[in-house]
Amino acid sequence: MSEARLFKPRFNPAKPIFNIVVFLLYLFLLAPLIIVFVVSFASNQYLSFPPEGFTLKWYQALPSETIFVEGMKVSLIVAVFVTVVVLAIGVPAALALQRFEFKSKAAMEAFFLSPLLTPSIVLALGMVLLFGPLNLNNTYTGIIIGHVAITIPFVIRTTIMSLATADTSCEDAARILGAGPWTVFRRVTLPIIRPGVIAGGVIAFIVSFDEAVISLFVAESGLPTLPVQVLRYVENSADAAVAALSVILILISLAVVVVVERVMGLRKALN
Amino acid sequence: MTESKLSIVDLTKKYAAGLAPAVDRLNMEVEEGHLVALLGPSGCGKTTTLRMVAGLMDPTAGSIMVDGREITQEPVNKRGMGMVFQSYALFPHMNVEQNVAFGLQMRQVPKAEQKARVAEALDMVQLGHLGKRATKALSGGQQQRIALARALVVEPTLLLLDEPLSNLDAKLRDTMRTEIRSIQQRTRATTLFVTHDQDEALDMADRIAVMNGGLIEQFGSPIDVYERPRTHFVANFIGQANFLTITVGEDVGPASAAGERNYKIEVPGLGHFGAVGASGLTGRSLPVLIRPHRLRASLQPSASVQELKGTVEQVSYTGDTLSIAVRVGDEVLQSQLHTTSGSLPHTGDTAFLSWDPEHAYILPEHAKAVAA
Repeated sequence: MSEARLFKPRFNPAKPIFNIVVFLLYLFLLAPLIIVFVVSFASNQYLSFPPEGFTLKWYQALPSETIFVEGMKVSLIVAVFVTVVVLAIGVPAALALQRFEFKSKAAMEAFFLSPLLTPSIVLALGMVLLFGPLNLNNTYTGIIIGHVAITIPFVIRTTIMSLATADTSCEDAARILGAGPWTVFRRVTLPIIRPGVIAGGVIAFIVSFDEAVISLFVAESGLPTLPVQVLRYVENSADAAVAALSVILILISLAVVVVVERVMGLRKALN
Repeated sequence: MTESKLSIVDLTKKYAAGLAPAVDRLNMEVEEGHLVALLGPSGCGKTTTLRMVAGLMDPTAGSIMVDGREITQEPVNKRGMGMVFQSYALFPHMNVEQNVAFGLQMRQVPKAEQKARVAEALDMVQLGHLGKRATKALSGGQQQRIALARALVVEPTLLLLDEPLSNLDAKLRDTMRTEIRSIQQRTRATTLFVTHDQDEALDMADRIAVMNGGLIEQFGSPIDVYERPRTHFVANFIGQANFLTITVGEDVGPASAAGERNYKIEVPGLGHFGAVGASGLTGRSLPVLIRPHRLRASLQPSASVQELKGTVEQVSYTGDTLSIAVRVGDEVLQSQLHTTSGSLPHTGDTAFLSWDPEHAYILPEHAKAVAA
């Protein structure tokens, strides 16, 4: 009898308190998403909380909102091109920064990572002023250049992380076995750093798809992206269609992350 | 397999101006089919030398020749060598067969021939049954054997081994040592082998290059570098060594080894003994080398032999042998005894040390100040 008591874990008052704190933290982080989710099914005439009834009409209305459909098209085209371009620039840049020694290395590294540290409103303003004379405002090229600039630090970071943990003697082995520089890259380096490259690409896609500030400055009038359209919509009308749209966007992001995680192990790539 | 001869002439590598060169005007001839060990402590330039031969690193000066053909300027992927790395360096995204086939694909060998040669190479390292496995699923020893198969399947001009055994555990290391040596002898691949392990070098190599501070201190057969070290560093790095500073006395005639003489030597203040060395040493003050297992220690004085009298300071029992440290004057000498010998000494005992003259070798030069 006394034995059983001996092995009973002592009650630790810190534990339930810790659990409550964690729960509140999650609630705080997820609250906006939960509210948007609830509101998207609410029959309130205006965007407000709490809901007065259940309806699917906001979802049914989405396909007929041409500005959303148009915005979605622009955003998808931009995000796809941004992902391709940013990988084409970012991966070689990361390779150079990680594998080679050269004079201006520190400066180059700072340059490629600097967009992370600059407020995007500053970047956006600069781009509008620069793109004006180049006739790039309100063009796909303009938006894509802007988005590449802000997504390149992510790609470089994730790729450098993969490169840093990869064994360089694999590349040496391939070279000794007769592979030229391009073959080494294509058949050995790239497959080894693939998780980092894919993680960088996914982040770039999501960041570009989600980006509002630069798109707003550079192409509001001529080529509005989906976030710009949402912004405009909320300015003019206050119904819950944007909430329904938001839920769909959340599901798309979630789907991308889940698929990549299943196929590649995104968590592994991001660590 | 193709046999090749490697010549290295005045090979030098300087990483930065002002720094001492990592490799300093190194010269070496490797005969066809030989396995040569580059042996030395870390930082002695052995890996740098290997990487220059492989073409992974450009030399600052000097040249590298294979079969008389200069390859110093040839890019690494055109040299046709095979290399095995300490970390195995198998391609993690390819299975065993794909790893081994890589070099053949680069040479555009026809598919059917590729398949046959890969199978043959895997059989050679006794892993023919693992062809479809992922490399990650294999043990360290298996991975290293695949790396060896991958390097040999292309019939390399030279086989380069960069500390291939140091990631393996002790028991496996012994097995792999024998296996690499027998495969090398079967294929007659001229081989350069980097190691910091003296036992490995003595066991496997036809010739050993003992390196220190970017220089080759001695290049010779395992017996040569062990029995007739040219410098204090070599004597100390290969095997265990006792040194006594002595004065070389009278030359008493030719020794059994060609060109060597028997000498009387004087250990200052302790008596006269016998030793061997190169000719013309009489009158000089030089170190004499006596290996611990050739330094006899007994607890009773002998009537017939001249001995050094000392006190046992330390005893270390390792089963097969008993190592004792004996203080003689200012010196502490190590002696190794077989545990079969009757009464074993204890700390504090008086011991009498003696040796056969042919087991005491007078080093031809004085100890240089060697950085610790």
